[in-house]
Amino acid sequence: MTESAPRGGPQLSRRTLLAMLGGSGAAVLLGGCGGHSEPNQSGASSPGDFPTGDVTFRWVDSGDQKATYLEQYFERYSQEHPNITIQYDPLPRDEIAQVVPLGVQNGNAHDVFQLPPGVTGAQAIRENWVAPLNDIVPDFETWKSRFPEGHFLQGSHEVDGKLYGFRLGSGRRYGTMLLYNRQYLDAAGYDPESEPLTWETFRDAARRVTQAGGGDYYGYVIGGGQVERWAYVVSGLAEMAGSGTGTWQVVPFDWTTGEFVFTTDQHIGAIELLLAMKADGSIFPDSAGITAPQAREMVPQGVAAMILQGPWNIPIWQDTYPDFDFGVASQPVPDGGSPTPMQINNDDGNTLWVFAGSEYQRVAGDMFAYLGSEEGQREWARIVGVSDPPALSSAMDDAELDERSQRAWDLFGEQLRVGPEPVVRNIGAADVLTQWGQGLTPTFGETLQGIFTGQLDDPRQALQEAQDRYNAELDRAIEAASSAAAEVSRDDFVFSNWDPTRDYTTDDYAQL
Amino acid sequence: MTLQSDRYQELARSARSAAAGSLGRRIVRARWCYLFVLPSLTLSILFTFYPAVASWWISLLDWSGFSSVPVYTGLDNFREVLGDEYFWGAFRRSFIFMFAAVPLQLGISLIVAIVLNDSKLRMAPFFRTMFFIPVVTTAAIVGIVMTFVLAQHNGPVNTALMDLGLIDQPVDFLGNPDLALPTVIGVFVWKWMGLTMIYWLAALQVVPADVYEAARVDGANRWQTHWRITMPLIMPFAAIITLIGAIGALNVFPLIQTLTGGGPFFATEVMEIYIYRTAFGVEGATAPRLGYASAAGVWFGICVMLIALLQGLAARRVAAMRRDLQGGGARS
Repeated sequence: MTESAPRGGPQLSRRTLLAMLGGSGAAVLLGGCGGHSEPNQSGASSPGDFPTGDVTFRWVDSGDQKATYLEQYFERYSQEHPNITIQYDPLPRDEIAQVVPLGVQNGNAHDVFQLPPGVTGAQAIRENWVAPLNDIVPDFETWKSRFPEGHFLQGSHEVDGKLYGFRLGSGRRYGTMLLYNRQYLDAAGYDPESEPLTWETFRDAARRVTQAGGGDYYGYVIGGGQVERWAYVVSGLAEMAGSGTGTWQVVPFDWTTGEFVFTTDQHIGAIELLLAMKADGSIFPDSAGITAPQAREMVPQGVAAMILQGPWNIPIWQDTYPDFDFGVASQPVPDGGSPTPMQINNDDGNTLWVFAGSEYQRVAGDMFAYLGSEEGQREWARIVGVSDPPALSSAMDDAELDERSQRAWDLFGEQLRVGPEPVVRNIGAADVLTQWGQGLTPTFGETLQGIFTGQLDDPRQALQEAQDRYNAELDRAIEAASSAAAEVSRDDFVFSNWDPTRDYTTDDYAQL
Repeated sequence: MTLQSDRYQELARSARSAAAGSLGRRIVRARWCYLFVLPSLTLSILFTFYPAVASWWISLLDWSGFSSVPVYTGLDNFREVLGDEYFWGAFRRSFIFMFAAVPLQLGISLIVAIVLNDSKLRMAPFFRTMFFIPVVTTAAIVGIVMTFVLAQHNGPVNTALMDLGLIDQPVDFLGNPDLALPTVIGVFVWKWMGLTMIYWLAALQVVPADVYEAARVDGANRWQTHWRITMPLIMPFAAIITLIGAIGALNVFPLIQTLTGGGPFFATEVMEIYIYRTAFGVEGATAPRLGYASAAGVWFGICVMLIALLQGLAARRVAAMRRDLQGGGARS
């Protein structure tokens, strides 16, 4: 059985005191979250034996398409092991950010969890939050050998020969592909699947659709209330337009110099494209305030024609709106240009970890053994498909993909390349990540949002200031990591032989 | 006169008797009171006093909330907070919010309360209930629903304004940086107006009916009765209602988080949103900083304490005025 949780006198003085303390809402919030005097008392336990009595095994992750796959798997697993009740909690990532740390501090975290945003694998391993998989996954070495080279990152998933993080998928996908309403685009005279849109035709198509809509529907929608969507869209457009940047920490990064770069002509061009479309009136009116999931709904509902989002929309739309005729195409590139591949990395968020204090680590190991098997990965490919492609590419080859998913998968093959990882070169870079993330406000995404809403009126200057903040923060984080005994420098972030058109391989690391 | 003097002496004797005896004996005597207070006191200690005190300590640490080794940094967080323009922006917005929302809330709810206090209004209980429903509705739900109600595309408010011919183009209430904060204030006032209305109704019902009777006998019209009788008699309550409203206007996290998340580009970021953002970080961009956020929270808490002190002073003033009023009544 599985359970899925959705998601003037003495009296006056006393009252005044209560009001004072009770009014300090912020203090309450923060104290409540961080008042534990010894936050790392999880108490790593030995893996123990496979449970024979009735137990409840708890698992929390960010859900999405994973949930469809895991719910089916957990149902089967519970039938095979009737003594194990699985409590599966798919939660939004901001809730994971609260549930997991509190659980770890209190020693009652879920048996398997995804790390909260802002916590790195290196940090979780060092803080003894998570257990190594070597001793709990049956026939561990064989199991691990199935995964391609570089799938598990030293310093992030693996430390001192022990593997802690299990990457379920390959991360071979990008979140800004063009998904569009075929009927609207046909009427506007465009067929992006046969002739990919350029920045100019993208703008023109949006304008034409909006004119045809007469206020009922619009050309393009973005979930701009979620600031990272601005970062994804502008980074993606610029990268594929040949900005010569990859990404690090989800923002543009030039690996050849080890510098954050936000002000190339391609980045400025991308934001100017969005501003021009806004001036045309062809961006869905509420775009600055809605979230990405809300924006996603606008397309099948027929109030927006195009969106730059990820392949996870494909199964969702096909299941929820079976009659909706939509197309899947490449992200637009500038006129006359061909797409420059975009960089992906092997440190995406879809990594699962076993709680070090879990009494049922053997159960987690047993499950991971299946999820990482050929059969488990094929099933993952069949159910999740291109939404989050499996770790084993052979599983994807065997999957029978529908036309749209196949097109997306083909695009990923053409347009994605694995980029360098500082932690692979020097494990000390993991300490930089631990120190990273102060003084960045407004972030790259927030800056783009401010430019779009007109609150920042000089895009180039605003992006230059953001770029300077990020570079200064990288220097500070490296300095802080060095002070804390890590041997790391800015040079560890420079990969002079990086070529965005091909995967960055072990040989490339060796040549440095 | 003699009778009154005897009464005072008797009262004084019983007071001395009550104060007599050891602390333990007095506690035993009042054991039921302490027993009944115990659950509330326990919860207050667990969820108010301890976290509040803990946040003072955390504000002196460089701590993400995740690492096991927080680093003591003294007053560094406070120095950084005070130098952060976004902190001051949020601070300013919190008080703009309060100074805009509280007068609106008090004024509108007073008018509604006066109308609903009229015994001739047959549907008064129905209207009171209607005005109170938003109060008992979860703030986060109100926020989410309002994002749809105020939507620029096909939102009911924009549709109504267009149909009435009041606007030519739909208004981007939540996405326009100039309109977002006033809109959020409007939603806040709408949500909490019912509660303030109840306070005013309670105050209005304290005004003795015979005073109105006497005014009518003296030939006062409704306007004169309102300005010469009602308003002076309920004004002492205004101070406390104002301060309760002010405290409420500084606790707006769920409403703003669900309506705008503090955006667009910080246009509606008040202190609570700022604290939340810095405490838990921006996904994929900034690190969680519980120590820094605690410092911001402590500083904000100090400001709220000052307001609470004002509340205390106002309560004293109200009590004094009531005593004067009762004394005057007795003399007449």
